[in-house]
Amino acid sequence: MTQSGGQPGAIVSLDSVYKNYKLGSVEVPALRGIDLAIDAGEFTVIAGPSGSGKTTLLNLVGCVDVASSGTVRVAGEDTGQLSERALTQLRLRALGFIFQSFNLVSVLDAFQNVEFPLLLQGGSTKGERARRVDELMDKVGLGKYKHHRPNELSGGQRQRVAIARALVTNPRIVLADEPTANLDSATGHAIIDLMKELNTTQGTTFIFSTHDPKVMHQAGRLVELVDGQIASIQQLGVDAAPPADPHAPATAQV
Amino acid sequence: MFGTLIRIAMRNLLAHKLKSFIVGGILVFGTMLVLLGAALLGSIEASMAESITGSVSGHLQLASSKGKDQLVLFPGPLDGNEIGVIEDFPKVRARLEALPEVRAVLPQGFDYAMIFAANLIDRKLANMRTLRGKGELETYRPVRDHVRRIVELLDRDIQRIRGVIDLDKDDGARRGAEDVHHAAQPEFWADFEENFAKRMEFLENKVAQMAIGEDILFIRYMGTDIARFTSTFNRFEMVRGEPIPPGQRGVVLNTLYHEEMLKQKTARRLDKMKDKIAEGARFESDDELREWRRMNVTQYKEISWQLDDAAADRVAEKLRAHLGPAPVEAAEAASPTDDASGPAHAVDGLLRRFLDMDDGNFAARYQLFYDVIAKELQLYRVDVGDTLTIRGMSQGGYMSSVNVKVYGTFRFQGLDKSALGGMVNLMDIVSYRDLYGFVTAEQKAEIKALEKRSGLQEIAAENAEDALFGEDADLAAEASATGFDEFADVDMSKGAAKWNERLTDIVYTQAQIDGGVVRNAAVVLNDPKQLQAARIAIERIAAEEKLPIKVLDWKQASGMLGNFVSVIYAVLLVAILGVFGVALLIINNSMVLSTMERTKEIGTIRAIGGSRRFVLWMFLIESIVLGAVFGAIGVGLGAGIVGWLGNVGIPATNDTLVFLFGGPRMYPWLSGAHVAFALGLVVMVTTISTIYPALLATRVTPLEAMQDKEG
Repeated sequence: MTQSGGQPGAIVSLDSVYKNYKLGSVEVPALRGIDLAIDAGEFTVIAGPSGSGKTTLLNLVGCVDVASSGTVRVAGEDTGQLSERALTQLRLRALGFIFQSFNLVSVLDAFQNVEFPLLLQGGSTKGERARRVDELMDKVGLGKYKHHRPNELSGGQRQRVAIARALVTNPRIVLADEPTANLDSATGHAIIDLMKELNTTQGTTFIFSTHDPKVMHQAGRLVELVDGQIASIQQLGVDAAPPADPHAPATAQV
Repeated sequence: MFGTLIRIAMRNLLAHKLKSFIVGGILVFGTMLVLLGAALLGSIEASMAESITGSVSGHLQLASSKGKDQLVLFPGPLDGNEIGVIEDFPKVRARLEALPEVRAVLPQGFDYAMIFAANLIDRKLANMRTLRGKGELETYRPVRDHVRRIVELLDRDIQRIRGVIDLDKDDGARRGAEDVHHAAQPEFWADFEENFAKRMEFLENKVAQMAIGEDILFIRYMGTDIARFTSTFNRFEMVRGEPIPPGQRGVVLNTLYHEEMLKQKTARRLDKMKDKIAEGARFESDDELREWRRMNVTQYKEISWQLDDAAADRVAEKLRAHLGPAPVEAAEAASPTDDASGPAHAVDGLLRRFLDMDDGNFAARYQLFYDVIAKELQLYRVDVGDTLTIRGMSQGGYMSSVNVKVYGTFRFQGLDKSALGGMVNLMDIVSYRDLYGFVTAEQKAEIKALEKRSGLQEIAAENAEDALFGEDADLAAEASATGFDEFADVDMSKGAAKWNERLTDIVYTQAQIDGGVVRNAAVVLNDPKQLQAARIAIERIAAEEKLPIKVLDWKQASGMLGNFVSVIYAVLLVAILGVFGVALLIINNSMVLSTMERTKEIGTIRAIGGSRRFVLWMFLIESIVLGAVFGAIGVGLGAGIVGWLGNVGIPATNDTLVFLFGGPRMYPWLSGAHVAFALGLVVMVTTISTIYPALLATRVTPLEAMQDKEG
């Protein structure tokens, strides 16, 4: 982990970040001066009403968008300085994504969806991939559904597949944008529990957005956004203690 | 990763079945078209190559590099004829035949000419002389009576024409008409035997020529080194008679020309009717059959004209027996037609009834025609063994003529029924040179010698050539008037013919055959596949040795005909471009739509770390898979069709096709190159049509994955 600037020890840091969108001829501010540092192993929830800038913040951290001004550091890299290709590599190797509407590749089955990022990374054998995918499918409780296509799975099952896919490369950070929004509350809870469990056992840093109050309280740290600014930061629970070397078992680059 | 790309591609294709099938259908059709077209054209080209190279052109053609016009073996009306002359042909031949690729180099020359066949009166008059000379008066008299009848009919026809067109404007024509009229009078025949020599001369010199009109025919011929031609051109095959003896003058006629142009017309029509009926045509449904029948019935005189009284009686008897009693209007058969100059024979009515055939009696009557009637007829105006007078327009613009013996008939295998291949007749090259007006120094000397022997010293030396080519009618008449009995059975109207007759006995040496003027030459190769190599080798030698020749391949030398395949290729290409143009648009369109539909998926793939290149390949591979799968189906279907056609053959429905197909049916075949070409093309087309949508797809940002919620 390169600690080049920003807050020491932070895996993600934002430094006076502004982001404006162009809506026709009008510049609409989405983020207005965000300063935030997230340490490795944290379980952070970004909360706030619609239009508060949650998704924009996650997009910046997820390296799918760049700030209008200010600095965004992810896994030690200043994303504003990276090329398109380097950003893709960063997403591929350091980040995992969980989407609100799951975003599985509809023509691939559950197993293939989970395997997909490993194929993009390349360099692994079929056997290595199968072991890794099986392990995660079991962990998310979908061992029996490996060869179901997304349209043969329920919403909760699909989101579990998405979680397995986000974790399969053993990323340092997993970003989840409203992961429970399309799920009933019981399933939503189960998903959050799963994420928390993985946070505890794997030490993966989770950052997710929600506007569901019940979900918010599961967070280790709650960051509240209002109108593109941080309204409050609350420390709610104890984050998983970062293991001495959180990636020891799996960083042998699968 | 490649496996994943293929898997995604296949899954996407299956996920959009309807679209895939529509696009796939077009691709299958296009591929089939390409494959069929390539296979058919490839086969046609090969067959045509064989037809043309094996019959007329050889693999390569040589012509003078100084010629004004391009050499064209099958010329159209606009093709010029001034192709020049190959200098020092023996040297060219020796140099080129030393090449390992070259089997033979043959001198050639093509031209049109007119032929004068001895007409009916000529033949009958000759017959009269012979019979009377032998003292066979019993057989002589019917022939004489027949001639009288012919002259009477001729006179009647001329008088009738006179009423329609004004013959008297032309002095020659008027005199001719008067001569015929004179010979048709009873007084002419009353003391015929007493004045035999005088009367015969009048008939031969004044009357016979008036019946010559329809006996002028055009002939297209190739003058060549006959002996070597017949052994090198593998499509050549004698049908009747014998080949021209090596080194001698002579012609062999193409069977098709012989049948089509020289056969008695009724017989020829019956032959064609028989062929057509054998192919399943019937009178009530086939206009052409009915038209031929009508012509046979109305032109019954084509037959009766040739019958003398005895023959007419024989035929009438057989016909009467076959046809049974005449219908009620029997009187018609015996009633004279409009002519007053001699009663129509009873055979006329019988012939008309006989020739009015139908589906039921055709086969029997066809048989009867050949068993009974044909035996009494001169079935071919020129037949094997006859001597033919051929007149051509020489290079210098004057008429030249040669008398050559018809040694036999031949065919080019597979091309019997094609006018393009079937109308070329073969002549020895020495006669060709005479006709074309090329006279070498040696020949001039020879002519002089012959002149002396023939007792024609009175013709001045400078007129020898004119005399030889019969250019000067007065000379001819003068010569003929001297009378040579031994030539009495030949058409004697052209005096020069006499010593042409003697020329036919001369055997020319190879040096003489090669040594004269050569306009173009055919190069026959040992292996047709070496055409390009041989061409290059020949051109190199020509350059090294400064031989003033240029080399054309058979296709170039065939002119329009050789371009035929290129033209079909162009048409096919347009059709293929059309089909694939449509395919391109549709695939492009559907892929653009698919890019838009799949924006979120593409965004997701980008978000979780897929590169732009991955997205590009994802689309390209989908298209390649599409092209490969449906291309393979198209190739399979196309190969099936070609295989089936290869078994049953494609019938050649007209002359041109017979020639192109190299026979009555073509059996197309498929090569690996055709398959590779078709597959390659379809994959290329699908790939090209995907480039734009694929580039669009690479512009989808990972942000699109996040799109379905508020900021």
